[in-house]
Amino acid sequence: MNQSNLYKMMTKQKLLPAIKQFTLVLMIALVSLGGATGCKSKKKLAQEQAAAEYSSKVEMAKKDLNSMLDGTDSWSLAEKEQRFKTIKSWNLEDTEVQALLDKVEDKLARERADAERKTEEERLRKEEESRLKTEANKYDPLENYFRAIAASPDQETANEKIAGAMQLFATPDVPVLIIISQAGGFNDYDRPTTISKYLDYLKDQKVYNNRIQQVKYDANKRITELELIKK
Amino acid sequence: MRKISTILAVVFSLIMGYSVQAQDDISPERKLAIDSLALEKVRDLSKYVSIIGNKSTPWSEANRVIDRAEELFMAGAEMGVSSLASPEVKYYNVRQYFERLMRLNYDRVEIEWFKIEYVSDLQRQPDGTYVGVITIFQKFSAYDKEGGLVYEDTTKKDITVYVKRKETQIGGRIIGFWDVLLGDIRVKETSK
Repeated sequence: MNQSNLYKMMTKQKLLPAIKQFTLVLMIALVSLGGATGCKSKKKLAQEQAAAEYSSKVEMAKKDLNSMLDGTDSWSLAEKEQRFKTIKSWNLEDTEVQALLDKVEDKLARERADAERKTEEERLRKEEESRLKTEANKYDPLENYFRAIAASPDQETANEKIAGAMQLFATPDVPVLIIISQAGGFNDYDRPTTISKYLDYLKDQKVYNNRIQQVKYDANKRITELELIKK
Repeated sequence: MRKISTILAVVFSLIMGYSVQAQDDISPERKLAIDSLALEKVRDLSKYVSIIGNKSTPWSEANRVIDRAEELFMAGAEMGVSSLASPEVKYYNVRQYFERLMRLNYDRVEIEWFKIEYVSDLQRQPDGTYVGVITIFQKFSAYDKEGGLVYEDTTKKDITVYVKRKETQIGGRIIGFWDVLLGDIRVKETSK
């Protein structure tokens, strides 16, 4: 082995570890650099996605709020209120959306008040209807007697019904008033009669074309005055 | 003092005058109600006549109905009776007429009133009474024991109707009512 070969061999033995070390450092650097670049693009993507999502929400919010304002939606009030709540929960910092939210909130409040008023009116109407029905039905037993007397097929049946009806009255002479017309806050009456005569009248004429307007009772719950009105 | 009394008298007479005027001018709705009431009384009478004339009506019941029918009339009102057999029209007090009707010598009698309508509308008279005339057609049919028709005629009759506003006290309150009373019932024509 000559001197030059020996020198080459010695140089090679020194360089090899250095190259290995350099390669390792280079690889680490490359891996580190590559990792950092990947992380940065993912963040950007997420940001872009968030921005797109926000923009989409803004558009959707505007569309829905506008349709609620101009009444072109087909939602019920409860659905609109739910939708309004959802949009508000997005906390969109868009000025147009904020303005729309204010307007829709006002509109929904009015609609809610209107709906509540209607519900209350309906409740009162039903209550009144029920009261009137009860009021009308309270005279049913007596009305039924009158109808039955007028519809009796013979005198015997009519007289039985008359005897039954008379039990409801304090005396046979209880006055019966028949209103023939009502105007200007006062009533026009037919000639007053008594319950005894009126029941006979129903038996004779076979027609009952009045209805009970008012009844007065004594302490024993017997009728002391009867007011009828022509139908 | 005298001046104040004069003013009060004038104010009082104005108020009273207005009140009387208000009573006089009845609305068309009220007038219609009165018209209907008078017609109804004539229809009631029609039913009573039919019950009284019906031979199957018990005597006591017929008498009760005569009382009710009589209440529909003014005191002294008369009912005209005609027959195909004679041109003469006889007039009876309404009570007498009903009693004669009840005792008619037939086995079965049918009396039907139809075409009950005003021929002269109710008109207000100076004393406040409304007077009108209602015409009716009465078909009278009489049958013998075997059920054979022995007599039948149709008579047109005019009934004068008087309607007056009156007041009465019931249960401590004043009730204003329209009293309908029937006057004479005049025979206009009789045909077969």
